[in-house]
Amino acid sequence: MRVLLVEDDQTLQTQLAGQLKAAGYAVDTATDGEEGLYFGEEYPIDLAVIDLGLPKLNGMEIIRRLREAERRFPILILTARDGWQDKVAGLEAGADDYLVKPFVTEELLARVNALVRRSAGWAKAELVAGPYRLDTAAQSLAIDEEEVELTSFEYKVLEYLMMHAGEVISKMRLTEHIYEQDFDRDSNVIEVFVGRLRKKLDPSGDLRPIETLRGRGYRFRPFDKAA
Amino acid sequence: MSLARRVVLAATVLLVVLFAVLGWILDAAMRDAVETQIRQRLEAHIYTLLATVELLPDGGMEIPADLPEPRLMQPDSGLYATVTGEQLAWRSPSSLGENPNLPAQPIEPGAFVFLPNADIGPERALVLRYAILWVDRLGGEHPYWFSVAENRELMEVQIGAFRRQLWGWAGAALLVFIALQIGVLRWGLAPLRRLRNEVSAVREGHEDQIRGVYPSELAQLKSGLNAFIASERKNLQRQRNQLGDLAHSLKTPLAVVRSGTLNAELLEQIDSMDRIVAYQLRRARTSGKPTWAQPVAVEPVAEKIATTLEKLYADKQVACEFDVDAAVRFYGDEGDLSELIGNLLENAFKWASSRILLSVSMANGGWVLLVEDDGPGIAPDRRDDVLQRGVRADERTAGHGIGLAIVTDLVEAYGGSIAIDRSALGGASIRVQFP
Repeated sequence: MRVLLVEDDQTLQTQLAGQLKAAGYAVDTATDGEEGLYFGEEYPIDLAVIDLGLPKLNGMEIIRRLREAERRFPILILTARDGWQDKVAGLEAGADDYLVKPFVTEELLARVNALVRRSAGWAKAELVAGPYRLDTAAQSLAIDEEEVELTSFEYKVLEYLMMHAGEVISKMRLTEHIYEQDFDRDSNVIEVFVGRLRKKLDPSGDLRPIETLRGRGYRFRPFDKAA
Repeated sequence: MSLARRVVLAATVLLVVLFAVLGWILDAAMRDAVETQIRQRLEAHIYTLLATVELLPDGGMEIPADLPEPRLMQPDSGLYATVTGEQLAWRSPSSLGENPNLPAQPIEPGAFVFLPNADIGPERALVLRYAILWVDRLGGEHPYWFSVAENRELMEVQIGAFRRQLWGWAGAALLVFIALQIGVLRWGLAPLRRLRNEVSAVREGHEDQIRGVYPSELAQLKSGLNAFIASERKNLQRQRNQLGDLAHSLKTPLAVVRSGTLNAELLEQIDSMDRIVAYQLRRARTSGKPTWAQPVAVEPVAEKIATTLEKLYADKQVACEFDVDAAVRFYGDEGDLSELIGNLLENAFKWASSRILLSVSMANGGWVLLVEDDGPGIAPDRRDDVLQRGVRADERTAGHGIGLAIVTDLVEAYGGSIAIDRSALGGASIRVQFP
């Protein structure tokens, strides 16, 4: 999942970016409002964390313009203002959640996780498909109630695919949403991860949860509820 | 004492004094007039007597038994006459016996002597005297004194009747004048009274400014007041913005320290600092009912906050039902109203399992805000704790408590009351009554 962090305080930005990366997100950082708006419009963002008090362009204006430009990814506001009028104004401008400074890191991560999930149409922190149960809070996978170890990159790939189950995800899109922008896109590292994931998800080879559509990308098979 | 009362009192005293002086002058003038009139009549009586008597050549005088003035003939008529000379002491038949006792001292002949209030025995009378000197053939001088007396009773009756009329009419006129001047005053001071009412309406937040049309003297005052009210509101807004800026500049560094440190003790201190900052800022913002606030419609504010909360708590799938009277107005600051509804509703969203009911209605001369949910509710023995106010921010427990403590502060600042009960929905019901 790719997160845009717009925060003008350098120290806080560095800390938050570090914590978000540690939690498995690809993070783009912007220091002022104009940069934040540019990244938000141009990059394949899954979620934006925007501070309201920014130089050049304030956070509220960025949110308004992003929504006008039909960018629909969830937006979390970071602000020092905790009045209800500010909250209402922020959400009316188009934000989805609101976090008042100072906050606990776990709280930020939980909110980010919930927003990403919800925007992909999942109501709960657990993504369930067939025998697979992916806990996005604990970042763990269970197959038929049996815990399976995943590396951080494997988890990221699986999370993205499962969140968008049923959709065809191109290799390019998968790369964009999992890695930061300086990643070498020509490498076949994605194919390697998908190959390892298949082995872990389907050791026997009869479930085939991840389909490859040649020339188009991957698709996590939409399992029936009954299955 | 009010302005109107002062003016009424002063004008009334002046009117009474004026009428008293005027009445006294009229009264005196009237007495003079009546006396003069009676004196003229007495003169006429004396002339008649002079014409009636027969002067004898030897200096004697004869008065006919039949006089032309019938009142002199009728006993006790109130009109008496005497003629006194060297050998004569005549009394008109109207006198009875020795009374009345008219003065008989010698006076200068040829001149009238008027005694307006003479004692003539049992009664008092106006007496006119005149003396003649009769010279007989031999040149002997014989003085005769004529006295005519008119009983004062008649005059007093006349004066009494006049006075009654005078004072009756004067009193009535006085009352009419006092009533008139009160009316005039009311009319004259009506703009002031209207201005006063408008100012208090603005102060209580029922109106946003003074709008009435006023006479020129007050028109300037009105525009001055309106300018003052506007600047007062702007000041309040500026103060709020400054507080917001202060909050922002304090909280970002706090957030940096907060997310950077792993020292538990330090974290605790930072959290405590943050709570104190947040609590004090909020208190500064809601220090009570502002004096020049505009009325705020409750419904749109509640609507916005519910929409916001539905978004924030999208995972919970809680239905927030509304039963809101659109006519209800909050006489205070919109920010305070937002805090109040926001904290109450957020609390409900946190604890509800699927339903929330927000009711706003007019009641008991004010309005009532009722927030109900179907959550676990608040146990009766914990209700007071939850509403506890005045506790320092760092002593309060986070979560359920803090939002309601803010609500309690707000409600008290606006002179309202708050009560917790069990809702028909199954959970907590929090009822806020505003005056």
